[in-house]
Amino acid sequence: MNFPEDLKYSKEHVWLRINNNVGTIGITDFAQSELGEMVYVDLPNVGVSFEENQVFGSAEALKTVSDLFMPIQGKVIETNKKLLQTPTLINNDPYGEGWMLKIELTTLAEFENLFTAEQYKRNINQ
Amino acid sequence: MNIALFSDIHANLPALQAFFKDVDARKPDAIYCLGDLVGYNVWPNEVINEIKNRRIPTIAGNYDFGIARMSNECGCAYKTDHEKNNGNASIAFTNAIMQDAERAYLRTLPAHIKIELQLNEDQLNILLVHGSPRKINEYLFEDREEKSMLRIMQDADADILCFGHTHKPYHRILNSGVDGQNHFRHAINIGSVGKPKDNNPQGGYVMLTINENSSVLNKDSIQVNFIRFNYDVEAAAKAVEESPLPNEFADMLRNGA
Repeated sequence: MNFPEDLKYSKEHVWLRINNNVGTIGITDFAQSELGEMVYVDLPNVGVSFEENQVFGSAEALKTVSDLFMPIQGKVIETNKKLLQTPTLINNDPYGEGWMLKIELTTLAEFENLFTAEQYKRNINQ
Repeated sequence: MNIALFSDIHANLPALQAFFKDVDARKPDAIYCLGDLVGYNVWPNEVINEIKNRRIPTIAGNYDFGIARMSNECGCAYKTDHEKNNGNASIAFTNAIMQDAERAYLRTLPAHIKIELQLNEDQLNILLVHGSPRKINEYLFEDREEKSMLRIMQDADADILCFGHTHKPYHRILNSGVDGQNHFRHAINIGSVGKPKDNNPQGGYVMLTINENSSVLNKDSIQVNFIRFNYDVEAAAKAVEESPLPNEFADMLRNGA
């Protein structure tokens, strides 16, 4: 299982990539493998703001549905439209083509609450 | 109008024969089969021929879809390696005994059947699928979040959505109406004839009753009856044990698991 070093991870199995003040968000390799084949992803509209740990959507797999939690405060500036047609991009490329949201970061303070790849791996006993 | 809906026979001929005996006595106006005729037992060809000979409109289940294409993948979304190994044994066995004409029949089965009733001012659409409208092997369990279930039904323009696949029957009524106007939608899992998983080994199916006043405005105007019937579970379980199929499948039949 793959956990890129340059990402931050939440205990709710969401990853965050930071580029200037834009954060890209998706679910981890561990999360997609636990959930199984994706059927549908419910994502928020552009312009909506979320607090840290707030539910921003849900991932619907063949057998189960899981809420998605925001790893950090921010405002949605883009969603991955490709997931509407091909939700399995999340299974095949969770850190690349399977990204879910881009958000404008409103604070960097919550970073401290997120895991490094090493810490996340320990958290899921990998 | 009484519409009998059955599915998930899974090559269990004693269960199918008992179902026919039960349903014939009730004289429904129509019978539809929601798929998964084959897999997990020794009579896939016989089950197909019984249904085919009765000219019952039938849709493909995920297992039918896989076997029709000689695939080694049934779309069953097994979780553990143990489940996968048992599943693979069932697929290999079914592929090995499936005859050409019966396999060809599976190949022609449609994905969905839509029935558009025109009773009142409003339309009443019944959609028959195996797993869900968007995926043949999606599991719509009873605890599916209301928002998700409603979206699935609205996207498919289904007022009454009938499906199987989980082998656990239920009926949920959801209201998608806006501005104080009711729009009741019915999600109906019809259970399983030949491999029930709700801790009741009896076979199960649904009788859906529609009358001239049935409407999305009145949730009680559509009746759903879950019917259970006895069949020779031991004969079906023994057939599994005397075949190359994993013996666990036999106990699952005995326990309705």
